[in-house]
Amino acid sequence: MTLPLTNRRSILRVGGAGMLGLTMPKLMQAAERATSLKPRAKSVIFLFQWGGPSQLDTFDMKPNAPASVRSPYRAISSSADGIQVCELLPETAKRMHHVTLIRTMTHTMKNHASAGYYALSGHEPPSDDQRLRDSLDLYPAYGSVVDHLAPNVNGMPTSVAYPHVIRDGSIVPAQHASFLGKRHDPLLFLEDPNDPHFKLPELSLPQGLSIDRLHRRREMQRLVDRQARLLEYSDEARGFDEYYERAISMLTSDRVRKAFDLSAEKESVRDRYGRTSYGQSCLMARRLVESGVKFVTVYFSDSIGGRRVNDGGWDTHGFDDTRMYEIVNNYQLPITDQTLPTLLDDLEERGLLDETLVVWMGEFGRTPEINKNFSRDHWPQCYTTLLAGGGVKRGYVYGKSDERAKFPAEKPVKPEDLAATIFQLLGIDPSSEIYDRDNRPLIIGGNTLHDVIA
Amino acid sequence: MFRIASIVVLTLLSLAPSRGRAEESKYGETKVRQLEFTTDVMPVLSKAGCNLGTCHGNLNGKGDLKLSLRGQNPTDDYHAMALAARGRRINLNAPEWSLFLQKATGSVPHRGGIRFDVESPHYALLTRWLREGASGPSSTAARLVRLKVEPSEAIVVEPQNKLPIRVEAFFSDGTSRDVTDTACYELSNLNASVDQDGVVSRSKFGETTLIVRYLQIQRPVPIAFTESRPDFQWSNAEPHNEIDRHVFAKLKRMRINPSDVCDDHVFVRRAYLDAIGRAPTVDEAKRFVHDPEPDKRSRLIDELLTRPAFADFWAMKWADVLRTEEKVLDTKGVEVFHGWIRDNIAAGRPLDEFVRDLVTGTGSTYERPPANYYRANRDPSTRGETTARLFLGTRLQCAKCHNHPFDRWTQEDYYQWSSLFSQIEYELGENKRQDSLDKNEFAGDQKVLIAKMDEVRNPTSNRVAAPKFLGGSELEKNAMDDRLSSLATWLTSPENDLFVQSQANFIWYQLMGLGVVDPIDDFRLTNPPSNPPLLDWLAKELTDSGFDVRSLVGTIMKSRTYQLSSEPNDTNVNDAISYSRALVRRLPAEVILDMQSDFLDSPSSFIGYSPGIRAVQIPGVLSKKARGKSLEPGDRFLKTFGKPERILACDCERSNETTLKQVFVLLGDGLNERLASPSNRLAELASSSASDGEIVDELYWAALSRPPSDTELSAAVDLLGSPDVDRATAVQDIAWALLNAKEFLFRK
Repeated sequence: MTLPLTNRRSILRVGGAGMLGLTMPKLMQAAERATSLKPRAKSVIFLFQWGGPSQLDTFDMKPNAPASVRSPYRAISSSADGIQVCELLPETAKRMHHVTLIRTMTHTMKNHASAGYYALSGHEPPSDDQRLRDSLDLYPAYGSVVDHLAPNVNGMPTSVAYPHVIRDGSIVPAQHASFLGKRHDPLLFLEDPNDPHFKLPELSLPQGLSIDRLHRRREMQRLVDRQARLLEYSDEARGFDEYYERAISMLTSDRVRKAFDLSAEKESVRDRYGRTSYGQSCLMARRLVESGVKFVTVYFSDSIGGRRVNDGGWDTHGFDDTRMYEIVNNYQLPITDQTLPTLLDDLEERGLLDETLVVWMGEFGRTPEINKNFSRDHWPQCYTTLLAGGGVKRGYVYGKSDERAKFPAEKPVKPEDLAATIFQLLGIDPSSEIYDRDNRPLIIGGNTLHDVIA
Repeated sequence: MFRIASIVVLTLLSLAPSRGRAEESKYGETKVRQLEFTTDVMPVLSKAGCNLGTCHGNLNGKGDLKLSLRGQNPTDDYHAMALAARGRRINLNAPEWSLFLQKATGSVPHRGGIRFDVESPHYALLTRWLREGASGPSSTAARLVRLKVEPSEAIVVEPQNKLPIRVEAFFSDGTSRDVTDTACYELSNLNASVDQDGVVSRSKFGETTLIVRYLQIQRPVPIAFTESRPDFQWSNAEPHNEIDRHVFAKLKRMRINPSDVCDDHVFVRRAYLDAIGRAPTVDEAKRFVHDPEPDKRSRLIDELLTRPAFADFWAMKWADVLRTEEKVLDTKGVEVFHGWIRDNIAAGRPLDEFVRDLVTGTGSTYERPPANYYRANRDPSTRGETTARLFLGTRLQCAKCHNHPFDRWTQEDYYQWSSLFSQIEYELGENKRQDSLDKNEFAGDQKVLIAKMDEVRNPTSNRVAAPKFLGGSELEKNAMDDRLSSLATWLTSPENDLFVQSQANFIWYQLMGLGVVDPIDDFRLTNPPSNPPLLDWLAKELTDSGFDVRSLVGTIMKSRTYQLSSEPNDTNVNDAISYSRALVRRLPAEVILDMQSDFLDSPSSFIGYSPGIRAVQIPGVLSKKARGKSLEPGDRFLKTFGKPERILACDCERSNETTLKQVFVLLGDGLNERLASPSNRLAELASSSASDGEIVDELYWAALSRPPSDTELSAAVDLLGSPDVDRATAVQDIAWALLNAKEFLFRK
């Protein structure tokens, strides 16, 4: 016996929308379920570079710009014709024939929180304000949208995010499912994959609890549930019971536990990725993708950082008498040059790169003019995003920045266009609608960048 | 409510063919006059969906064409269609070559797809308008003054599964015409579908609301699809009070019998959980169940309402929506504000006075607790939205950027309402933030003052918005300097229907799990109450009692409707909104955690609070002491199970959803450590001299307020007696099963 559940959120639109006989349930399906575009990528690995890496010192070198603008580091040739990168990324340079660079990412959010939200959701925040506060009014994370529109049916979680919750003072929005509901939250863990004792508490049985005992408890629970008959007539109770099935199968199934078990990797592989949180997180990303997770988000750091050489993100202003070019060259760039090429190689060697889209991006770039601290400040008007695999062109540059990498010279790209492109590659129609708490229909993406798709 | 019964439906069905696709008659009478943009062209654009929020009605338009949302502004739309882009969208010489028609019919690529074809009457009308010279909105043209929708409500009885709707528009020049084909239709849920001609078809049995929209007028049509049940016999359930008369009157019309009254084990648990947020102890449950007196339910309800725990639990509900959280109010602000809320409830302060204090709250937020209302709501828009949402059950957000698409509120209404809150200013003290980067944080005391001379402007007109009560009159000139006290008088008046109804509905929702208007903060024309006489009665009861919360809670709990079992019968299995049985729902995070603690006789722990505090008593969200520390198990549990962050002034922020992560907490260390503790009730029982049967009995009563069944008893006793399992382990496993039983986690 199945009882109807009222769905308070679903006002259905017909009157206006369906001149050609789209009846309401069909419209509902069109709106709430992704239409089946042909997917090019099975999975996405989203490497979020919190703090904002400089375009001018990574992938949009301007060697001919004045000294007040150009990087103190040289531009070097790469494995892709006509693409130069920073000399501190020599290993990355050898893999540029795998990647597409978008050099004209642009928006106007100058604060980390608002820009970070924009980058993680593909939706322009209501205001450019550091006080932008995480709430159920704001848009969900990409992974949650994917779980809502095209959930995994293979027993693996759709979306996994780790090893930080990022914040700049307040928690940055768009790291969870927001108005789509907690059930679409990414599986989030904060344990450090670089910790020798790394394990997920969710996937570990408590001390002293054998699998047999777990099953005994479950049997006893079922017996009680049968007495109350709630499972017979309450969809909610039944839904919760299904989570027990799933959780127990995750706890006891090798597939899920193995996906998270980094100790199964050879030491040499772990070394190649780098013995850092970020390095081991990227290795974890490859394992997760391999076992069928659709959307993996790796945060480079928990904080915007920028003042120390041993932790934090890319926010190198030169505050407190620090210097950008004493930090990024010793921390962020070396880590990047060890981990990113290894990830691309590893995916390629395993035949996964064609079906895995790797996205490397920050919330904005950095000012073309070097500031009085010999560092760079926030610059959202023009910055670079790197894409690889998953159906994007190889050795390709989309868009062109001006001579100082200050503004897009042609083909500007907004974060919502990148979002549309990611969804499109996953086979999710970027014009799909989701509904917020006020029942407003909201489109998930902007305009797909068809030119970057191979 | 459903006066028009199936007979009317049948009549209309027989009329339907003659209405048919009579194109001549539909546009025939217009042939003698020139087509008018506002009343002839606009409906077609709306019908084709061009001006929806996801299409050209979007704030930024689509593909360079921006229309007003759902056709709110014909003048702008005419400009966009006919004049903008150097007039390239229309072609007067060759109407068929007009770009917008080519787009809409798909003869040139259109991201919005094909909206209508060249054979359609809409195409004919639009080309004719172009041939006539594509005139714009005329100030002398007739306006739409009324929309007549037939039927205005309906019960559709099987085997009938379709309901045709007829819509007639009346204009200011005295003319009227049938606009059934051009009106827009939307349904409130998936129980039915509606086609372009306004024929509603059942998808499953149940209720739905059809919203009919034509130009600027919308009408809701409540429709119920019911099974025929030829041998239906009204069960004649005996009403306990007026609530039941209203609920049962509707059920009877819909041929639905309510479920039986729940048994004593279910009732005692439900009453404790709903009134005071905790389950009865073993003794309390047994005493009630074994009490032979027939009035024991009423006595129990009266007794529960006098307990201090009632104030704790109901204070939590108001603390949720009043944004009682540490980041903005600081620890002390949270404590004094929560304390004040709790004291008001404990003292039985009338709800209207409580609300008056909030909306007029000024002064030091540490010394005058209600001032925290405005400390939490820091700009005129937020104050206006929050006040409307909490005390008028109205969502105004849509009207911030454009007229509300589903309600009567205009953008001007929004800013005039905000204007009442424009004089509030803050005097910040040192404001020594814990985290200098976190601009959301406010530290220390601050003063809320009426000082500011700023006025609110409507960004569209850029004119100052004169203060005006929402749906009421403008503020009188002599009240301009003290807007808040005039506001409070208007707001909390017993004559203010929206205030009284929304407050009664809030209390009803807390007990029943579903508002008569639902969501509870969404009273609007297009979201009518599921039982209007019931809502009216509850509202009157609230005012008659002098806005006494306890009195209304007691009246509701004593109704038969409240005491119905959640188990469905053959007739009410499809009912989701008419209260024919109790709704099963997961209990709130705090309540589940406290129940675990009570069961184990071992408290949980929270950062910043001394051991022993119950989760429902925690004044705020998370102590500021939590900064940089890992959370205590209690804090983690509450977060995972959906305790709200208290940022939104909306009950919807509390999540009673179930998630996979919650199950991991219950399966894993989270609960297991509590069970395995050597100093809890389980350890005590395991080492006691009690017999196996006594232990099992005690565990069942403590967890579920009932004895074990024979099957349960023998399974548990077998486990306790098993030579392979030690006694403590067996007790823990039985306890785990009880704490994970749906009967424990859900309100039944």
